[in-house]
Amino acid sequence: MIQPQTHLNVADNSGARELMCIRVIGASNRRYAHIGDVIVAVIKEAVPNTPLERSEVIKAEIVRTRKELKRDNGMIIRYDDNVAVIIDQEGNPKGTRIFGAIARELRQLNFTKIVSLAPEVL
Amino acid sequence: MRLEKCWFCSSTVYPGHGIQFVRNDAKIFHFCRSKCHKNFKMKRNPRKVKWTKAYRRLHGKDMTQDSTFEFERKRNRPERYDRNLAENTLKAIKKIDKIRSDRASDHIKNRLKTGKVQRQKEARKQLELGIHLVKAPLALAQDSSLCLPKIKDNVSQAQTEENQPMEE
Repeated sequence: MIQPQTHLNVADNSGARELMCIRVIGASNRRYAHIGDVIVAVIKEAVPNTPLERSEVIKAEIVRTRKELKRDNGMIIRYDDNVAVIIDQEGNPKGTRIFGAIARELRQLNFTKIVSLAPEVL
Repeated sequence: MRLEKCWFCSSTVYPGHGIQFVRNDAKIFHFCRSKCHKNFKMKRNPRKVKWTKAYRRLHGKDMTQDSTFEFERKRNRPERYDRNLAENTLKAIKKIDKIRSDRASDHIKNRLKTGKVQRQKEARKQLELGIHLVKAPLALAQDSSLCLPKIKDNVSQAQTEENQPMEE
């Protein structure tokens, strides 16, 4: 349940460390974003000497949330933190590596590049 | 579909039940119900929480080593479907389950045996001391046929037949 003002960690090596959600992409009055949704975020903290800088507005894709993800087979999965991966307009990740586990739902949503880079898909 | 074991209480988690928690190092914790999940969030150690299997196994309350446990190992390679194999496995599961539960209950019964004997001894002692509450001393003295029942001992089995049982 990510909404504007939510801080998220970053799961790739694009250069950003922490993002703050500004907007949930989807309907006009859409309240929350879950795993698999795209958000507009501003970079709150960045690794020095990388192409991305602090207070840059970018798009990100949510990969892990503390709010449970419910599957059709009855499985409920909860992660330990809220994490996103920075993407560009097409949906390709900006970084070259992904850290941590990724939910299987991303494959259905055509984020295949992220899924292929992920060390573990749960 | 896979039947997991709850990380906290070690009961089986069936599909549609419980929550899986994925830690940042990608270790998955399965929980059978919110009770176990909440205990985990409280950072309780299952080895110290009395009602969990972990505690019971650690403190010798439940059977720990048995050959029947070998049958329920986690196997990661899927077996090619074979009708005969599946049929035999199902039959075997039932039998092994019965054997394992019988052995487990025997283990508990043996464990509780010493306590039972102790309690019987104490009850006997109490009866001896407090016989005046049960039967008036005068009546006891008059009717010498009334007396306490002997302990059913293997050694003194012959003596029990001679003495009559006590009135309530």
